[in-house]
Amino acid sequence: MRLVPRILGQSLGLLALSALFAFGVNAARPDGLPLAQAAAKPAPSAVQLTEASGEIALKDAAMLFLSGRAVFLDARSDFEYQLGHIQGAINLPVRNFASEFQDIKPRLAGKDAVIAYCDGAGCPLSHALAKHLREAGVKNVYVLKNGWSLWQAEKLPVAKGVDGAPSSPTTPGAAAPATKAQLAPERTASSPLSKAKAPRLSKAPQMSTATPAKANGQDKLCTDCTN
Amino acid sequence: MPVPARAADFALRFALALVLFYASADKLLHPQDFAAIVKGYHVLPDALINPVAIWLPWLELALGLSLVSGFWSEGAATLTAGLFGAFWLLMIVSWARGIDVGCGCFSTKPADPGAEPVSMLYYIGRDAVLFGLALFTAWVRLKAVGEGGE
Repeated sequence: MRLVPRILGQSLGLLALSALFAFGVNAARPDGLPLAQAAAKPAPSAVQLTEASGEIALKDAAMLFLSGRAVFLDARSDFEYQLGHIQGAINLPVRNFASEFQDIKPRLAGKDAVIAYCDGAGCPLSHALAKHLREAGVKNVYVLKNGWSLWQAEKLPVAKGVDGAPSSPTTPGAAAPATKAQLAPERTASSPLSKAKAPRLSKAPQMSTATPAKANGQDKLCTDCTN
Repeated sequence: MPVPARAADFALRFALALVLFYASADKLLHPQDFAAIVKGYHVLPDALINPVAIWLPWLELALGLSLVSGFWSEGAATLTAGLFGAFWLLMIVSWARGIDVGCGCFSTKPADPGAEPVSMLYYIGRDAVLFGLALFTAWVRLKAVGEGGE
């Protein structure tokens, strides 16, 4: 039967002709697709960072924390840091910036965001630290306003003690995905100091609530806000 | 070949050609968006996504032109039936895999987020109708050729 070879021949002709036109026109048009690459439209990141405001929302910060794309810098004093901090955060009090920044600098490389935080809506430490960082040439610096209170209020992973301090070489430089144990603040005590001060930390979530925070949270913490 | 049979043959080919023209137009204009839709089906390796996204709309256009002009129309009718059959199977497989791809058959625009989402079963049903139309058209065309009509 001659019909089958005829159909096959016509089909191959159509396939070849259409391919010829397709790749020829694609090469000529300005918005043509590259042949060697996959569809180059990755899904846009849910985190939208804008350097204009210099601040980052808690949701965005938490997402960057979970994906390990951010490094958190705790601008509060060493004492407050040891009582509790964002897991994986590095303590960099503003007053120690000049002496400690060079040690910390390598740990900021390769991150999408460097997030400074302190505690209390009016606390200036994080903004002061962010300013120092920008002046030192660090890019993608953001401030998580009222960071510590908000972070605790959402029960995000926290740690106690000196695990993120620059003096500890074993500590990861950036946030790591949380484990079950890490998600429970009560189980994360790692130093005698943090154990001793545990009752004080247990009050911390109350500090993040709207009204009582000022009385025992922000005002107290900002006695350290000398910058 | 009697006149009614010839008219039916032409009408079917014309209808199928219209479907193919309509299907190819948006994809030809927006190859980037169509490539993203092809990728969303998760059936091709990355290296083949762009070549297929470039080629497929032109194949549909060539098939439509061939069907409406009558030139190489037996091959075009058969190839269209095969193509629509493959699309139909792809929709069924995607549905079975739980991939809601929003078809991308006739438009590369993303669905309106506020609108009621269209069920994959609707697309499967629509593709089945188109596959049936293509099969019938190919059968009529090949029968006409077999009878020595053209």
